[in-house]
Amino acid sequence: MSGWSGRILDIDLSIQTYRTYPLDMEMARLFIGGRGLGARLLWDMVGPEVDPLSPENVLIFANGPLTGTGYQTSNRFSVSTKSPLTGTVLDANSGGFWGMQFKKAGYDVLIVRGRARQPVWIEIKNDAISFHDASELWGMRVFALTEKLGQNNNKRNVLCIGPAGENLSRIASIMNDRERALARGGTGAVMGSKNLKAIVIEGKDRPAIDDPGQFKFLLYETRKLLAANPLTSQAFPEFGTVVLMNIMNNIGALATRNHQQTQFEGAEAISGEELTEKYLVKNSACWACPIACTRVTKTDKVEGEGPEFESTWAFGAQCGIDDLPAIIEANSLCNDLGLDTISAGSTIACAMELSEKGYMDSDLRFGRADQLASTVEAMAYRRDIGSDLADGSLRLGAKYGHPELSMSAKGMEMPAYDPRGMQGQGLLYATSNRGGCHMRGNMVGLEVLGLPMMIDRFQVQGKSSYVVLHQNVSAAIDSLVVCKFTNLGVADEYFARVLSAVTGIKYATGDMVKAGERIWNLEKLYNLREGFGRKDDTLPPRLLNEAPTEGPSQGWVVQLEPMLKEYYRGRGWDENGVPTAKKLAELELTNLSEQVIAAK
Amino acid sequence: MIDSRIYEMFRDIGRDLYTAHMVSSHGGNLSIRFGDRVIIKRRGAMLGNLKQLDLIETRLDKNDSGVALASTELLVHRTIYMNTPALAIVHCHPRTAIAFSLSRDELVPIDNEASYLLKKIPVVTEEFPSGTPEMAKKVASALKNYKIIMLRGHGSFATGQTLDEAFHWSSTLEESCQIELAVKQINEPFIEYRKMSESYNKF
Amino acid sequence: MATVKLFANLRKLAGTKELSITGTTVRAVVNELAERSSEVGSVILENGNLRPHFIVTLNGRNILDLDTAVTEQDTIAIFPPLAGG
Repeated sequence: MSGWSGRILDIDLSIQTYRTYPLDMEMARLFIGGRGLGARLLWDMVGPEVDPLSPENVLIFANGPLTGTGYQTSNRFSVSTKSPLTGTVLDANSGGFWGMQFKKAGYDVLIVRGRARQPVWIEIKNDAISFHDASELWGMRVFALTEKLGQNNNKRNVLCIGPAGENLSRIASIMNDRERALARGGTGAVMGSKNLKAIVIEGKDRPAIDDPGQFKFLLYETRKLLAANPLTSQAFPEFGTVVLMNIMNNIGALATRNHQQTQFEGAEAISGEELTEKYLVKNSACWACPIACTRVTKTDKVEGEGPEFESTWAFGAQCGIDDLPAIIEANSLCNDLGLDTISAGSTIACAMELSEKGYMDSDLRFGRADQLASTVEAMAYRRDIGSDLADGSLRLGAKYGHPELSMSAKGMEMPAYDPRGMQGQGLLYATSNRGGCHMRGNMVGLEVLGLPMMIDRFQVQGKSSYVVLHQNVSAAIDSLVVCKFTNLGVADEYFARVLSAVTGIKYATGDMVKAGERIWNLEKLYNLREGFGRKDDTLPPRLLNEAPTEGPSQGWVVQLEPMLKEYYRGRGWDENGVPTAKKLAELELTNLSEQVIAAK
Repeated sequence: MIDSRIYEMFRDIGRDLYTAHMVSSHGGNLSIRFGDRVIIKRRGAMLGNLKQLDLIETRLDKNDSGVALASTELLVHRTIYMNTPALAIVHCHPRTAIAFSLSRDELVPIDNEASYLLKKIPVVTEEFPSGTPEMAKKVASALKNYKIIMLRGHGSFATGQTLDEAFHWSSTLEESCQIELAVKQINEPFIEYRKMSESYNKF
Repeated sequence: MATVKLFANLRKLAGTKELSITGTTVRAVVNELAERSSEVGSVILENGNLRPHFIVTLNGRNILDLDTAVTEQDTIAIFPPLAGG
């Protein structure tokens, strides 16, 4: 067995038992690992009748065949579940070291079911699985807990929730290796609802590689490609992902003040250049990664990893705040409390607009950097105003009579890229299976950076094809599992060849991308079974109807209708966005679709 | 109505191919896919001199353009789109590459640019290498794993996200073959300068 | 005088974030920039032409044709190659 470990560890918290069984290799061939495998297993295990915060929901942690092999960025892993924020299929993806160690422990997948009667934490040392009482640990914040449970990047890795997850905030995250996050969609709430505080891993094995000679060659070529690409070899290591702040602002696609504008006058003050000049201590990397985009930053109050571009934006431009130290501190606080930064920042922004307009009675206002830390704290503990904000902007907006002021798609807050300045990104947000997310096919390469070449960001006809391709490729990459930043420098054909060299199964580039397409369609079937349809593939009215009045994107709204029509046809779906029988047969998903029809 | 930006892309790449001597007056073809539609050059049009009317838009799975003048190669292009993730196809007749395809089953570049970008270019062969279903299947199958391939004696098929990208592979290939031809003429012992180059033919 | 804004490592090379430069086309402005700062010039120009894949925007819109006209109120932004190999 090469690449995959071939084993699933299945833990039932309700009765504190576990069992292991073989991974279905035919399923693995079709869905690869990580997100794909997680979606496939979730399909079997969690249907429409399951409440995401009930014991019947599951957490499926998954590696891929590439995880832990030492290929560049082969440290990533994912968790799949039904989202308490959106109700859709959810996968979240994280880096660091935990995924690598999980592979060393000898498993591809960890399923966690049920609900422990008392807070518990799990320790996995290859075949030795133990349950520990977590009553003393319940309430602890992420940093302190991670240290207490013995975090050692290369040897012993801690994955846990903070107070936000314990309090079932629907935007709570699961954290690993101190400051890496399985951030979006409320993963932390699911773990909290199971009374599971932490999972700690130590491993001894090494994944087997089928063709070491070919693998070594591909490793060398990848090293060359990443070193030659200016983004992966210079811009990201030197400035971090926050280098995008000035770029997005310059072209008028930086969402500002809850998407009321598309440029932020304070962008320079919260840019990657500013961060590097004033607050950067050094850069840092996940396991087996030469790009090293992680920032280690320091202010008067905190020192730690981050912030990323999205986090900086969420507490920055989106809240009208140009105080970088306050943003860095808010980011650190989110990590310590176990809260998704994008959703937290955008929810605060929504509250700011609701308050300024008098729909909500609070003193939150755009630009108030001094309100960030206290509001984030309150959210994690559901205290005072936090009780309104803890479950995201859509529920907040709905409570105060203005759900349309939630800048979300399917209930998940959208990130920094304002789609009125990037048409393709608008289509992406509207059609993403887990909700308003940029990581499921980011168009920033094509529409902004010119990677591999520049496509007119305002062009509408033909745009959907790129979105489809990027969605399929992203799904494949999320299943290998490697970091999408590698894809910035390394073409898809390399990943297919690495997958073949590691597993011994021949994947042509097209086979790998087809697996991504299969995964995307399966996720769509899942959402259809849950009752989502064409009406949910949409964006907030502001983005469809309110054009920016100034800046380079002046006059543009997202032309969703024509793009969506073209998108459905391009995907081989009918006009309601339902995969046709022909498409499902092509993807070997026919037997699953019958359940969708039955559910309807 | 085809967006003028798309027409301009076809026109510019078509002209570049012609001026680079990679197609004859009426040879070669370009196409792109969006949604479930394909835009392709009509039969008899000149790549070096494309007009708006020279572009035909049709359905991906069958010709509904109402135009019997869509290229004889429409079948190949459609088959490629239905079997690979390609969004654009450049088919041209790069002379030196064609010459090498007559004596080799695969081209493995020796110059830096092509060995970096392409590594290996398979050569497929078909007894009647124009517009038949067999040829379409063979070409599409090879393009599932490589972004540019040679059809022996006929020309190259390159795929990409855009015409720009597919043109890039085509141009790099021809340049590479011209370099190799020059090397043959120079006829001096080859000094290997690339680490791990022995693995390129296993790509 | 058009405003030229520099980003990422171009700032370090030029020793500044922003300059005012006169020129009637983007090309003229870029050439003038290279004159003023040979460090920047050597990085952004190759044989007198802008190296490929530099992101140049004019008032936020991407510029592919360097002979695009420039007026007094315009802002040109230059980002180092975040693309290409």
